[in-house]
Amino acid sequence: MQRKSRSTLVLGCLLAVAFAGSHARAQASKPPAEPMKIKVGEVAPDFKLNYFDGSNLKEVSLSQYRGKSNVVVAFYIFAFTGG
Amino acid sequence: MKAFQQNLKKLEAADTQVLGVSMDSAFANKAFADQIGVTFPLLSDWGGEVTRHYGIYLDKYKAPRRVNFLIGKDGKILEEQIDNDAIDPTKIVDACERKKLSR
Repeated sequence: MQRKSRSTLVLGCLLAVAFAGSHARAQASKPPAEPMKIKVGEVAPDFKLNYFDGSNLKEVSLSQYRGKSNVVVAFYIFAFTGG
Repeated sequence: MKAFQQNLKKLEAADTQVLGVSMDSAFANKAFADQIGVTFPLLSDWGGEVTRHYGIYLDKYKAPRRVNFLIGKDGKILEEQIDNDAIDPTKIVDACERKKLSR
């Protein structure tokens, strides 16, 4: 009886270690989200960038919307990809 | 970008201008916009100066991270969504509409 409970204890410990190990691995495989350099509440740095409207390059700056409207600036990785 | 296009009317009604930004050329972005039916500007950060200044340049892809910034009329950042969270614009649309109601 005593022997059996000891082997159960050993088995339990082994399982706990195995579980902890796999858990740690699962966490490690998830790429850590890098903190953002520019944070909520800060003033967004101004920029001036072009887009092509079909006939001309047009310049847009962030500051042109100051006091007029909110702006969503949506950075995306590449053209012709999803999202 | 498509998801923002689908919500564009709501965003415009809440005084919000949408600007897409990538490091593609302005011409590639225009072709992309036409292909997926986007009517708001897709800006070209050719060379990545703005992307780097915003701290979201990915060396691995030589491209920006996927990030949405919602910027208020005072120029301050109200919301940020990063990577996979940045695909669904619902949160931004909600934030804009909330803001409009609170005024």
